Amino acid sequence: MDWTFRADQPIYAQLVEKIKQSIISGALLPGSRLAPVRELAMEAGVNPNTMQRALQELEREGLVYSQRTSGRFVTEDDRVIAMQKETLAKERVRAFLASMAELGFDLPSILSLIKEE
Amino acid sequence: MLGKLLKHEFRATGRILLPIYGAVIALAALANVSIRLLDRELSPILRFLFVLVLVCFVLGMILAGVMTAWMMIKRFYTNLLKDEGYLMHTLPVSVHALVWSKMIAALCWFVMTFLVVWLSIGLTVLIQNNTNLGELLAELPSWHEIRQVLREMGIRGGDITLLLGETAMAILLGGVMTCLHFYAAMSLGHMFSENKLLLSVVFFVLISIMFSFFTTGYGFYIHWDSLDSAETVAGGIRVVQGFIGKALLMEGIQAAVLYLATVLGLKKGLNLA
Amino acid sequence: MAIMECAALTKRFGAVKALDGVSLAVQPGRVVGLLGPNGSGKTTLIKLANGLLTPTGGELKIMGMKPGSETKALVSYLPDKEYLPEWMNAKQLMDFYGDFYSDFDRERAREMLARLGVDEKRRFKQLSKGTREKVQLILVMSRQAKLYLLDEPIGGVDPATRDFILDTIIRNYNPEAAVVISTHLIADVEQVLDDVIFVREGHVLLQSTVDEIRAREGKSVDQYFREVFKC
Repeated sequence: MDWTFRADQPIYAQLVEKIKQSIISGALLPGSRLAPVRELAMEAGVNPNTMQRALQELEREGLVYSQRTSGRFVTEDDRVIAMQKETLAKERVRAFLASMAELGFDLPSILSLIKEE
Repeated sequence: MLGKLLKHEFRATGRILLPIYGAVIALAALANVSIRLLDRELSPILRFLFVLVLVCFVLGMILAGVMTAWMMIKRFYTNLLKDEGYLMHTLPVSVHALVWSKMIAALCWFVMTFLVVWLSIGLTVLIQNNTNLGELLAELPSWHEIRQVLREMGIRGGDITLLLGETAMAILLGGVMTCLHFYAAMSLGHMFSENKLLLSVVFFVLISIMFSFFTTGYGFYIHWDSLDSAETVAGGIRVVQGFIGKALLMEGIQAAVLYLATVLGLKKGLNLA
Repeated sequence: MAIMECAALTKRFGAVKALDGVSLAVQPGRVVGLLGPNGSGKTTLIKLANGLLTPTGGELKIMGMKPGSETKALVSYLPDKEYLPEWMNAKQLMDFYGDFYSDFDRERAREMLARLGVDEKRRFKQLSKGTREKVQLILVMSRQAKLYLLDEPIGGVDPATRDFILDTIIRNYNPEAAVVISTHLIADVEQVLDDVIFVREGHVLLQSTVDEIRAREGKSVDQYFREVFKC
């Protein structure tokens, strides 16, 4: 995973985004075990509290669950992953549309551009 | 914790002083041989070499003395008042333990140097052709004979023990005072942000002046004529005992003042650069 | 309970006020950046917390106690100086730390020294400047202390050393302990910080979490710091 961070957002939020993306893309398989917080933090070069906060956020969203004794796992629930995938896709599309609108494109011209590609 | 501080203090000082002691003793052995051989017919070169050994031996003894004093000053200065102070003053030990560890180690080395110097002088002069240890010792009066003489003079064994005890105490306190004189001066001088060394020298002089006031005061405090009025040797000894006792008290007070100044300077006025 | 707490803390050197009415608290489990330009009072604050200076006014407490022998057993301090006796080797230095600090973990220190490739028999004086700095940090971080006070640990070190230092700090993270890192090079440490304290001319300008600043200002703490301290 690439562990560089942008300046304009809290680091934990960017960690959530990066890990989420790995789960959605399948780089982290459903049901697979995540490394302990400290190890993940060291890998990312961030404070363990920050990593902890990111993982809690992912837990809240249902992408990750923790078992008291054996650690944290990626959810096995395909629906949750699919839902997150859709949400993320919609977010990106919306962001894309917004940036195209700034350039003066309306929906039909964007669609035709996409078809050309 | 004082024990651990002493362990590391001896480790830090021993690595300098022990090799010097070793060298002095080795030079003493060489000097012994040189003195024996200088009696014979020798080529000028050999003669020069043997004399050189003797000169080195004397210089070695002087070096041992100077280094012992220098280590007393330097350990306090570099270990407590310079960068190493960041380590020492953040240890979970009291300032008292820090000061005592420096002083006890310095006093031990004073004694060691004294012993080594006398041992090496003994090593040099004894067992020469013209002297013989056995004969020399046989000429010394026995303890029994000494006591006999003393008893005839009306001096009791207890008086001698007390006098010797007082003398030992006076020597010890003298050593303590020497250490504390330097410690207090440096401790006070380093409370300031600038000119720390210069101010240490100023405090050293100020303390010396204070001492001379004490000594003058001591002169007034003692009844010197009581020595003249003592009619027997035994009586004289008792008067001297009194003098030393009072001197010890004076020195004790001065030492206490210096100790307090040292500790207070380190505790309240520490200002590491 | 706060690990470290100051209330109206003031330190004066002659006519100069190095700290003027500083109040702040450091909580357990946090990595705190003490940020400010040179001469802003960071080192004075850290020295006061170590009992190397006595406050002129106000109060500073470590685990509820004034700095003294008891607090020194709980605080692990990295000065911004080369403070170790240079005639000692790593083995003797570990003996020293082990003798005086009951929380010193010798095995951990040895492991880290081995990872650095430091010969335990080599005198401190003979090591390169960068290695000396790392050895100092290893000794300080090998204690299981309640409070780590690191004064300019990354001032003037190369990027590899900086990474080693940050890595060591994260590796030794302990939820019951707090770490305070003083620095003026914020970009380098920002990723490992929970909280920041901005100090200027002996005053605390701001105490906040890194997340809060990034969320509120939409910029990194480093960028925000440059803005606040622009002259």
